[in-house]
Amino acid sequence: MKKIFLFLCCAPLLARDLYITRSGAVSFYSHAPMEDIVAVNKQASCMLDLETGSLAFQVPIRGFIFPNALMQEHFNENYLESHQFPKATFKGNIDHWLELKIGPDPQDVAVTGTLTIHGVSREISESGTLARAGGGINGLATFEVAPADYDIRIPKIVRNNIARKIQVTVNVKLQQK
Amino acid sequence: MIRLFLFLFFSAIKIFSQDELLDLLNEEPIEPLPVQATFKATRIVNSQSVELPRSKMLEFMVQHRFGTVENGFYDLFGLDEAAVHYDLKYGLHERLAFGLGRSSWQKTYDVMIKAKLIRQTEGQGKTFPITVVIFSNMGINALRKDAIVKDNFANRIRYLQQLIVGRKFNESVSLQVVPTWSHKNLVPAHEDEHDLFSAVLGGRIMVTRRFSINADISFPLGDRPDSFKNGWGLGCDIETGGHVFQLLLTNARGGYEGAYIEDASGSLSTGEIFLGFNITRVFSI
Repeated sequence: MKKIFLFLCCAPLLARDLYITRSGAVSFYSHAPMEDIVAVNKQASCMLDLETGSLAFQVPIRGFIFPNALMQEHFNENYLESHQFPKATFKGNIDHWLELKIGPDPQDVAVTGTLTIHGVSREISESGTLARAGGGINGLATFEVAPADYDIRIPKIVRNNIARKIQVTVNVKLQQK
Repeated sequence: MIRLFLFLFFSAIKIFSQDELLDLLNEEPIEPLPVQATFKATRIVNSQSVELPRSKMLEFMVQHRFGTVENGFYDLFGLDEAAVHYDLKYGLHERLAFGLGRSSWQKTYDVMIKAKLIRQTEGQGKTFPITVVIFSNMGINALRKDAIVKDNFANRIRYLQQLIVGRKFNESVSLQVVPTWSHKNLVPAHEDEHDLFSAVLGGRIMVTRRFSINADISFPLGDRPDSFKNGWGLGCDIETGGHVFQLLLTNARGGYEGAYIEDASGSLSTGEIFLGFNITRVFSI
């Protein structure tokens, strides 16, 4: 009995089927009356456990590249405070993982978990797609994030320059570890 | 009972494994990156800071100095008069910028180059503690020909060379020290030196994310006449998106680059100090 328990305990750790990338793309788009802002980050890491459907993301805030250098500096210094909160993270699960079959055609999936930005953690549930491609798995998701939910204060003077809700797009190409 | 136990057991594994995945991702450290925003503007009060105009951005700066405050309401604390310096700077690269300026004082035009030699870095691993910038400025006075300037063009030229060594100590405190060499091709009197050396100290303390208190002061290296005064400036930065406003008090009114180093005229004791402001506006081109 004890042995079975130990086996059960270790099995999920030993039989890991991990897929990973260190160069995932995370971009965001802010549409506001005064201007549209786009920033792209190609340094996102992501890991997916094919056994359990567990998923984790880590995004270095300084990795977001803006077309305007001053904007990028303000993003880090004034809004995301990247010196204090250098990374955004997500950890969660793909819902109904055991019933899903990931094939070459994009499969709609729902993801539930904890998104942490600017030191604030919130439970989110968003949808995306997964597809097998080559030897790996491609993941794609688009969802909205409200800066106010993560305690990111936007002063009145730039209210018309920054959207209340920012559209975030995630695009990762995972390879087996 | 055993079912409940198993359920709890597996849900525990699930949560554990998410955290574990994140820990696995975390193993890779973030590379050291150059620090950002040691100062908000390319000037502290009067002196140049370690900041350059951002890459591919045009920066327009107005330095406006009112008259002396000592006459009080008669000329509204100097607001009736003004000395100005305008400049237009462009960031060719994140480490190289050039610019053109114009002062009302002696109708001086100036050209400048600012280059970032070394960048302070922060992060995990090997970091560097300071930023080093060279600033080189040439001023050309454009006064009409007279007995002093005569025909020799070289007589109109002055130079300022600075090595700006700065450090962002933390999110609120930044300091810099600036060894300075100024050279005038033409000096007013025979006994005046053509080459003068000095050191400028400057710093800031952030009060909020968009507001800081700044100060700078210059110290001569070598002899100066008795009438010499250390040029100082005390001000604050107010940042609003694409603008930085700097409101200030100084004892150096002169509009041209480096006037605060050798030509500060006022002092607190006589009340001969000046209100002023700098406005920085950036354009993305």
